[in-house]
Amino acid sequence: MAAVSRAAIIAAGAALAGCGNLSGFGGSVPPLATVHVQVTGDLASVQVPGPGAPKLAAALVWGAQWLTEPLCVLPTSDASVQALIAAGCRDAFGFVPDRVAVNVPLGPDGTAELDLLDLPAADVMVGDVTARVAYASVVIYDDRDGDGTLTLGRASRLGGRDDGRPDDSGVQTTDVVYAASFVSMTQPDRRLAFREGGFDRAAAFYPRAGCGDPLPSFSIVSAGGFSAQAALAAELAGQLPPEDPSACLEQPADTPVTVAYRAPGPLRELACEERTLDSSIRYREPPADPIDLTSRTDACASVPDFGTGQAKGMTQYVVSGRSDDSCVGLTHYVLRGCRNDPLCEQPQWDITKTPPSWWRCSAQAPQ
Amino acid sequence: MWRTAVLLALCAASPARALADDAGTLLSDDTWNYRSTGHLAVDGGLVVGFPAALPTGMSVGAGAGVTVGDALTWGARASWVTATESSLPWTVTQSDLRLRVTGGVQTRPGRGTIGLRLGLGGTMVHETRMRNQGMRAGLTGSELETSAFALLPAADLDAVVALHIAGPWLLMTSGGPSLDLHGGTLHGGWSAELGVAWQP
Repeated sequence: MAAVSRAAIIAAGAALAGCGNLSGFGGSVPPLATVHVQVTGDLASVQVPGPGAPKLAAALVWGAQWLTEPLCVLPTSDASVQALIAAGCRDAFGFVPDRVAVNVPLGPDGTAELDLLDLPAADVMVGDVTARVAYASVVIYDDRDGDGTLTLGRASRLGGRDDGRPDDSGVQTTDVVYAASFVSMTQPDRRLAFREGGFDRAAAFYPRAGCGDPLPSFSIVSAGGFSAQAALAAELAGQLPPEDPSACLEQPADTPVTVAYRAPGPLRELACEERTLDSSIRYREPPADPIDLTSRTDACASVPDFGTGQAKGMTQYVVSGRSDDSCVGLTHYVLRGCRNDPLCEQPQWDITKTPPSWWRCSAQAPQ
Repeated sequence: MWRTAVLLALCAASPARALADDAGTLLSDDTWNYRSTGHLAVDGGLVVGFPAALPTGMSVGAGAGVTVGDALTWGARASWVTATESSLPWTVTQSDLRLRVTGGVQTRPGRGTIGLRLGLGGTMVHETRMRNQGMRAGLTGSELETSAFALLPAADLDAVVALHIAGPWLLMTSGGPSLDLHGGTLHGGWSAELGVAWQP
């Protein structure tokens, strides 16, 4: 009995002394990965005048799997269509943002540490659960709206007939992108990869054919880029455009990512997300009243049918967004068709016999 | 299927066997008699309660104790319970080893025993923290998982109800509030136990 009492006294004494350090749910959360960013170059030489001193920040942006619409890539000799493509189509090989994962202010020395506290969600990863990958671009931007994050804009879209879709003003972003590690597949890039499981070398998700596989989990990978001509040729041959192996790198995630300031114009689309990712188009019924074409580019183009002959010479009237919109985009009008298919058998509208007075494309024979 | 067969066999066999031999019956007039002459009771059972150092969850485990005395009692108890809870970044498992010296009062109306028990002592907590998504992200070592020990001063106040079932065996349940000192602050909780006791 004395021994039991002694043990109890010892236990009570130890308890009162209080030892150990439990954390529970508290304490700092270690990041799953940290991307070290270094910005080089002279901002003043590329800076766009703004309302105040630039609030530079670094963001890590996961990329979307996106296909451009046929009008933007099919070759054309029509100068008006070429002008429309230049005004309303984004780089078909460009990096398309899907989600902004991390934002941190850029330090005075041009460095930033991007701590990833979460893995990329399944919807930004491409592949099945045994082999999937996500890519992210490091974006340096001026946070002009001051919301602490890279605001992704969305192209505006004109409205249709009264009972159709109204104008969609999209999302205008005032943030200005000054540098990015991954701008386009046609340029040298450096990106953060997150690979889970195996790696599908045949996947056409920002492909790096000829380079090594991304390392498991997080890694920094580089590629030298390919030309648009090489990409189209490879596409016609059913292959992925090859990269120069000497420009390929696969490095651990703690490898610093260096980006240089550039003129913001060509980087504008890095702050623009897309409505649809699968190259599908939403068509509209032309409104009765003329469209305000101020600061817009328009053209008549044939409806693409990829050589099937289904279009039978059908034309579409395509209008770009305003030149001062933060994101480029196109609005498509057809006299007959459905919202998602101008060649549908049961059209939602057919005004081929009574086109609006302002309709400037060729009259289309009723189907 | 086999359970049904055994049940049917027992139903069929029992009346005949009871008629044949009274001395071999499963139940007799003495079956529910109990004896309760001792001042020592040993009990054990299933324990549930609030984790000692987690802000949420329910710990489940087992406990045992010994009680000595009649109207005034004293004794010692130990229980081990564990709980696993998650937040966005963490999955935390805490195992609590509760050691108490107890004292209390009790009365014995009929077959029952009703009492109030105060326990003082410490709770040794072992914590394991796993960084959620860390394994998929390739984290290893302390970036992926950490563990820690702590000994917390603690006290329990339990209402105890026991019922003599047969011979020296009792069905016993207890429960009540508990307190422990964690990080300089009092952490309230509760615990309950359902088990059996042996009182010779």
